[in-house]
Amino acid sequence: MLELVDVRKSFGPIEILHGIDFALHAGEVHALIGENGAGKSTIMKILGGFLAPTSGAVRLDGAPAPYTTGAQAEAAGVVVIHQEFNLAPDLTVTENIWLGRELGGLFLDHRAMRAGAQALLDQLDSPIRPEARIRDLPVSDRQMVEIAKALSRNARVLIMDEPSAVLTHREVEVLFRQIERLRAQGVALLYTSHRLEEITRLADRLTVLRDGAVVRRAGRGELTEDGMATAMVGRDLQDIYPPKRHHAGSVALEVRGFCVPPLVRDVSFTLRRGEVLGISGLVGSGRTELAEGLVGLRPATGEILRHGVPVVLGSVREAAAHGMAYLTEDRKEHGLLLDKNLTENLTLSTLARFGSPFIKAAREEEALTKAIGDFDIRAPRRDMKVGNLSGGNQQKLLLAKTMLGDPEVVIIDEPTRGIDVGTKSQIYAFIDALAAEGRSVVVISSDMPEILGLSDRVLVMRHGRLAGELEGARVTETDVVRLVMGTQETETETETGTPATGTPATGTPATGTPDTAATRASGSASHV
Amino acid sequence: MERRTFLTTTAIGAATAAAGFSLPAMAQGKKAVIGVSIPSATHGYMGGLNWHAQETIKRLKATYPNLEFVLATAGAVGKQVNDIEDMVATRNIDALVVLPFESEPLTSPVKAVKDAGKWVTVVDRGLSQPGIEDLYVAGDNTAFGRVSGEYFKANLKPGAKIVVLRGIPTTLDNERVDAFQAAIDGSGIEILDMQHGNWNRDKAFSVMQDYLSKHKQIDAVWAADDDMAIGVMEAIAQAGRQKEMWIVGGAGMKEIVKRVMDKDPQIPVDVSYTPGQISTALEVTALRFVSDTPVYGRFIIGSTLITPENAAQFYFPDSPF
Amino acid sequence: MSDLTRSDTTRPSLAARLPGLSALGPLLALVLLVALGAYLNDNFLSAGNVTNVLARSAFIGMIAVGMTFVITSGGLDLSVGSMAAFIAGVMILAMNALLPMMGVGLPLILAGMAIALGAGLLAGLGNGLLVTKARIEPFIVTLGTMGIFRSLVTWLADGGTISLDFGVRQFYRPVYYSGLFGIAWPIIVFAIVAIAGQVVMRHTRFGRYCEAIGSNDKVALYSAVNVERIRLMTYVLLGLLVGLATIMYVPRLGSASGSTGMLWELEAIAAVIIGGTALKGGYGRVWGTVIGVLILSLIDNILILADLVSPYLNGTIQGVIIVLAVVLQRSKSSA
Repeated sequence: MLELVDVRKSFGPIEILHGIDFALHAGEVHALIGENGAGKSTIMKILGGFLAPTSGAVRLDGAPAPYTTGAQAEAAGVVVIHQEFNLAPDLTVTENIWLGRELGGLFLDHRAMRAGAQALLDQLDSPIRPEARIRDLPVSDRQMVEIAKALSRNARVLIMDEPSAVLTHREVEVLFRQIERLRAQGVALLYTSHRLEEITRLADRLTVLRDGAVVRRAGRGELTEDGMATAMVGRDLQDIYPPKRHHAGSVALEVRGFCVPPLVRDVSFTLRRGEVLGISGLVGSGRTELAEGLVGLRPATGEILRHGVPVVLGSVREAAAHGMAYLTEDRKEHGLLLDKNLTENLTLSTLARFGSPFIKAAREEEALTKAIGDFDIRAPRRDMKVGNLSGGNQQKLLLAKTMLGDPEVVIIDEPTRGIDVGTKSQIYAFIDALAAEGRSVVVISSDMPEILGLSDRVLVMRHGRLAGELEGARVTETDVVRLVMGTQETETETETGTPATGTPATGTPATGTPDTAATRASGSASHV
Repeated sequence: MERRTFLTTTAIGAATAAAGFSLPAMAQGKKAVIGVSIPSATHGYMGGLNWHAQETIKRLKATYPNLEFVLATAGAVGKQVNDIEDMVATRNIDALVVLPFESEPLTSPVKAVKDAGKWVTVVDRGLSQPGIEDLYVAGDNTAFGRVSGEYFKANLKPGAKIVVLRGIPTTLDNERVDAFQAAIDGSGIEILDMQHGNWNRDKAFSVMQDYLSKHKQIDAVWAADDDMAIGVMEAIAQAGRQKEMWIVGGAGMKEIVKRVMDKDPQIPVDVSYTPGQISTALEVTALRFVSDTPVYGRFIIGSTLITPENAAQFYFPDSPF
Repeated sequence: MSDLTRSDTTRPSLAARLPGLSALGPLLALVLLVALGAYLNDNFLSAGNVTNVLARSAFIGMIAVGMTFVITSGGLDLSVGSMAAFIAGVMILAMNALLPMMGVGLPLILAGMAIALGAGLLAGLGNGLLVTKARIEPFIVTLGTMGIFRSLVTWLADGGTISLDFGVRQFYRPVYYSGLFGIAWPIIVFAIVAIAGQVVMRHTRFGRYCEAIGSNDKVALYSAVNVERIRLMTYVLLGLLVGLATIMYVPRLGSASGSTGMLWELEAIAAVIIGGTALKGGYGRVWGTVIGVLILSLIDNILILADLVSPYLNGTIQGVIIVLAVVLQRSKSSA
């Protein structure tokens, strides 16, 4: 239906796509996988009309594609759902869906638009209210709105850039059902994800990219997840998780009766030196709020003891003074200054160490050189804007920035969100090294294999409370999932993503509502 | 208040005095409300006008217990229109005394007040449509320019070079400058430069600095306003050229009048354009409500040359202006 | 990106460290204006005229340097013009009141200066606290205080003008009119403020934090920056600089009135933006601000010296040059 024929793309003297042939077919999900920087985004931009190829052709239904801009592409039925959503946050769901194509003559026909929006949302089995403002919706709902918007444009080709990266497990299920439904309706879908198990489940066809070239094509079932990873990285990936060989030392941090209003209630735990502690739970279960409360980013009550001594941590500075650091899950909004260069980002939280009253530029440059070496940050230029770095390199820079403060207790929230498998294993190695050095690491993650692969001990949070603690050999996926979902609930899904038998997985309000409500009640978009 | 006496006609003066014991034509017990809308005190001259308005209102209230005043000052045209509408709607005024911020935009709101059967007194700046107001009290801008020009003509030789500072670009400023130019016509005096000093000391200071850099010979300065004259004097002092030129300002600011009185060679004379005209307008309007004196018509208050001889008459040490 | 090898991560070349062409836009505009002025009038480059223009720029210049920090950290202050008038009024009244006790002399002048700086500090602190503690939009806070300061000075002056005692004025006058080695004091003070401002912005934590907060205050907060205190300090710094500007302003005319400092806030903001600081914050350039201030006062000076157009059109010329200076900058930076 939509194809690329020998497409090359150069930016300046550098060719980054080397003759790509690639086709999307009606009624098929075609997965495009590759490491960050392999060229996936460029291909999607060319397909969507946002970039013109340097040479080669884009063909729609066998004829040269009749569009040169994203808007024209949408009109032709080729719709891209970007990772950074293309929604106006202050408008309602209805207004966003109809944006640019409003119904009515001189005056808007609000009733028709609302009805249209409702019909689309119903078709997606989504409980979102058409009059809700985008700003008030969790990320997963925003994604639903994007899909509804694409449907309203009668999309024949739907290109989805890592749609599952920001979704919780349950939301991913809903997304998959929608994808399957669209496939059945004859829509051609392009799907990208770093979660290979999703590819196995969804993709009818699969293309692996490496360094701007196609290195492997496969049909359904022809390639195992290991095979995919190997093809992407170009070498054999053993276990991406480092072996667990930590020796937990003395208690570095003890938390008693910790509450972060309005969500987190009565959380107590201990953290030892040289230990990796995983915190699992659904998005909205209070994991991020707990971490932010611990480092003084949110008002909190309860006791915090460092090495057995009570401390008061009212701000990030005080937390840092007591050797505690938090690495945010939202590196673009809370972690890095995207329009500043590497140096300014690296030294921001520890600037006092670089000279007073005047900052010594040479010392900063030294620190950057060391960070680039230690954390394998790959940047074409040292004075480039951090926003132009790939996600993986941003994450490494953020890690370097946090470690510059030499914290003893490091809380890392979603360490590998939106990061390719090669960089993931590097970050896992860094985390492992931190523990080996005798630091205490807390890893918060929605990625179950990550929690299991990294942690010596796992805490599970549910509805703002500690649902349980699992240690050593007892840490299995089933146990964690049981705690995450709550043992009393007849939950229909497991973390491996296979629908369980029993109740049909239609996202009943009974299971869907409390988490959503909790997310909203906490009043922050930072943790969705 | 001595300041007023030479301005108002003796007839009105007498009527004011008489009104003290002849009871008003209006029904006993009902208070007459007079709304007063003037621009706020954004520069010296308006400051003086505000002061005179407040003083007069205080005095009239004491004299005539059955008169009530509503004073509103506006910093912009729109605000003044709102003020007037509010006065009619919520204070039920019987008369309006207004100094229009600008003529055009105020014409129809004031006409609406008139059409509602209220008494209207317009001060200083005329409305763009004649015949709306019952009473018009104003200074004479043409005379202001003419009197200044005549002094220049009489005291400078042909071929003398002068510079002029204009105010904020308005009709009022144009009238003054046109009359000034007409008055020096044929005298052989050359106007080297004419720029806007916006009736502002700081702006006049920097404009004069530039004049002084630009022109080697300047024999006199028409600063056209006493605030601007102060800025001009400072710029001249900075350049050390006090002996070369004299300055004529205008309006009768107390500091300048004092200098004229003290025979300062730099400020030989001043030209009156009194902010006290508001007092006249208020008093005459008050008469309408406390006596049977006919007070319709126009009162034009002339601009007079203030010289060391008559300066004492124009000197009000208590006024802020 | 990740397939680029480490060898690419070299130290930035000298060319990369120099300000880019876009940054030089305002400087270019300034040079063109100076050339135009010199061409149009022989006296333009005379010591007297240069001194006049620089000394005149000094008040707005000092304020604009402070404004650069406020805007860089994502704030705005509309109240500076009225604040200057208010501080001038308070300073003059205080000096007149202290005169019988202290007599004309250095102590009285120093007391006046201390009062001006103190009033500036308090005014800035007020703005800053309302912005940081009460969490009101800076535009609204300073729009409010703009009206408050303006009406307070009008009230203090009883609608007229507050004048400094004649004797004191004569003693104080040299602070504006004389100088050191033939350079007027306001120019010297402005130069010191500008250089200090540039150093603080580029080479201290405070400057770096201002940029970080303006760039993304959440990131700054998560990076252990005391966001509220830095923001507060930018307003206090601006208030102090307004006080300093007032100290240089009062000896010029020895008076303050309701019309003192009218529209200074807009001139200061315009100078900051012409100089290349981003209005939305995140990037500040103090030397650019200085050039912006000079451009603004040169336009005025040249228009009067040169008789190019009807005085009615002066505002048009100013507007066109301001917009051009910014367009020049933007188009080059996007190229």
